[in-house]
Amino acid sequence: MRNSSLASIERIKAAANAAQTGKPINLVPYLLVAPTLILVSLFTIYPAVGSVVSSLYRPPRNVRDPSTFVGLENYFDLFDPTHYIGSTFLQVISNTIIFALATVVVSVPLALGFALLLNRRIKRIGVYRFSLFYPALLPMIGAASIWAFLFADPLGLVNTILRTFGSRGQNWIGDPNIALFTVTTVNIWKQAGFYTIFYLAGLQNIPRDLYEAAELDGAGECQKLLYLTIPLLRRTTLFILIVSFTFGFQTVEHLQALGQGGPGDRSNLLLYFIFQSIGERRNWGYINAMTVVLVLVLMVFTVTNFLYFERRRDDETS
Amino acid sequence: MRMLRLLTVIMLLFSVAPTITAQETITVDFYFPTATATITNPEAGESIEAVFNRYAAAFEAANPGVQINVVYTGSYTDTRNTIQTEIAGGGAGPDVAVMLTTDLFSFIEEGTILPVQDFIDTMPDGEAYVADFFPAFLLNSLDEEGVIWSIPYQRSTPVLYYNVEQFAEAGFDAPPRNRQELAEMAQALTLPDGQRWGVWLPTEGFPIWLFSAFVIADGQHFVEESPSEVYFNTPQTREALDYIISLSRDYGVMPGGTLSWGDGPSIFTSGKASMLFHTTGSLTRILNEAPFEVGVAFLPSGTAGEDGTGYGAPTGGGNLYLFANSTPEEQAAAWAWIQFLSSPEIQSDWGAATGYVAARRSAWELDPLASLVARRPQYAVARDQLAFAQKEFSAYRTIDIQGIINSTLSGIISGATTDIEGALTTAQAQIDSLLAEYR
Repeated sequence: MRNSSLASIERIKAAANAAQTGKPINLVPYLLVAPTLILVSLFTIYPAVGSVVSSLYRPPRNVRDPSTFVGLENYFDLFDPTHYIGSTFLQVISNTIIFALATVVVSVPLALGFALLLNRRIKRIGVYRFSLFYPALLPMIGAASIWAFLFADPLGLVNTILRTFGSRGQNWIGDPNIALFTVTTVNIWKQAGFYTIFYLAGLQNIPRDLYEAAELDGAGECQKLLYLTIPLLRRTTLFILIVSFTFGFQTVEHLQALGQGGPGDRSNLLLYFIFQSIGERRNWGYINAMTVVLVLVLMVFTVTNFLYFERRRDDETS
Repeated sequence: MRMLRLLTVIMLLFSVAPTITAQETITVDFYFPTATATITNPEAGESIEAVFNRYAAAFEAANPGVQINVVYTGSYTDTRNTIQTEIAGGGAGPDVAVMLTTDLFSFIEEGTILPVQDFIDTMPDGEAYVADFFPAFLLNSLDEEGVIWSIPYQRSTPVLYYNVEQFAEAGFDAPPRNRQELAEMAQALTLPDGQRWGVWLPTEGFPIWLFSAFVIADGQHFVEESPSEVYFNTPQTREALDYIISLSRDYGVMPGGTLSWGDGPSIFTSGKASMLFHTTGSLTRILNEAPFEVGVAFLPSGTAGEDGTGYGAPTGGGNLYLFANSTPEEQAAAWAWIQFLSSPEIQSDWGAATGYVAARRSAWELDPLASLVARRPQYAVARDQLAFAQKEFSAYRTIDIQGIINSTLSGIISGATTDIEGALTTAQAQIDSLLAEYR
């Protein structure tokens, strides 16, 4: 580690000397980085900066006129509950937090459970693994269309089954008290299998002799799970928590097939609401402001986790 | 090195391409959307794009030197976003496009479209041309001063579909005429435990459209001539809300919550609902799919009119727009293309091919539409209801105001919002604040 960093310092010094003495700089490394740098600047950095800038402007009535600088007014409007954007935005933010938290709280333990079940030597384990993992492979909008058919009232499978039990069924997509539950359920179904894979990998990294030692000490299944498996999976769990929470903010395609955020925005989510607001050109300031808010939330979350992660790793290695 | 050669080839291609296409001919860029969810044409087996290509070929044959560049641009929303983005980014945009009739004031405001009135005025028979359109379909083309900006093309209106067999079983031989009759007949048609509902009135997603039929029939539409005035918090709105809520809460003839628009036709054709409020755009599909006789009727009447039995419906769909970025030559060719698409012959063909309501009276006397109506008289109901129809909701900031109204209506109808008075007041205040700069 130390050697390689010393070597790279030497190389930088050499390059600096070369620059001073007028020798040609080796262009190869720059050329190698250039494609990525160009792509990232063009498609990530430039739009990101553009978003922040245009979140401070209000588009003109006539497309040929310049935009008006309004400072942070767009942001104030977003958090103003009487404003037409703000009243929906606040509802949507709270939906999004519920959606993300519920997805994490349900799908992560579910994934652990699946992984424990699948981490055994059973016949045709591949079939079971595949059937739990395949929701993660389906494109979300396709999966959501299937679910929309299952949940449809009164034609869908769910209500048809419920009717055989004498129940009238539920208006899964149109009932304001159920709609958010419905879209969250679909997301959990979609994500749980995906996280199972990480847990499965984590489980298979745990050395078997630890369990053998525990068994010699007389530990039961429950104790092995609580005192061995779960603590040893801590890193995996942390990783999954980050990924699943971030996905909670990013996964919205299913809303298109499942009620489009209705009724009355009761099941609407932030990213989908941003997409819906594109309709009126004069909202572009708000759209960019909402995007900046979304990115900030995700960044705060990711950076704190990253720092936490890195610190722990340092603790462990030192 | 090979990369560099490839790059050179690509760059060369790009620099040569314009010189290949730039000839003496005038190219009219024509953008069109589809609302495939409602418009289907299994009989003809021809895609919408194929229909337009057929029209373009016929037009080009009759107009040498003009080429129609037919571009499919996705949904109505995609089409609007595409055009706005192109023009705002300094691009040329289309010369002609089919866009929602309700996009009018957004595009007037942005200064990107031309009034077709200027071209109509140069026609020798301009007045007769305009007079041949159903007046209800022209309402969405007009600005405050009565200037015509767009030409009706693919238009629709909601109607009431009913299951004639189920009606006969319940002892009814005619559709309901007013809301009271509808509620009572629906009650007789409803079977317990959700096996069959008396009526399906979709309120999901875009309730403003069907809902406006109620306020129109009660004599106060959400909009009048001025695009900067919206009448949402009115007694008519409260009355219609009460009625729709009572259908599920008091009469028990509809499920609670908001009801799916897209599933509506399937629910009706599978016999799970005896009546359906839906667009004429679904007529072809419903007639083809239903294993029973389908009746089509006017929407139930309200209190409007001198005798207090006013029918009412909004119109919907897309119009032909002309764009300001085009050169005078392109504009002339584009106007000729619009005249061609709005000709009685094409309107008759298009109406029969898609199920849209042909926008010109004379189109109904021509085949294939005339023979279709003779075979299936249900197609004529929407046309006759046009006498009572009003414009589709359209104002400055249409999309935002539609959003406010849709969210408020579906919130109240679904039961998410219990303070109806407060919700209507808030919505009206938000609408007024949006429109303040236009007054």
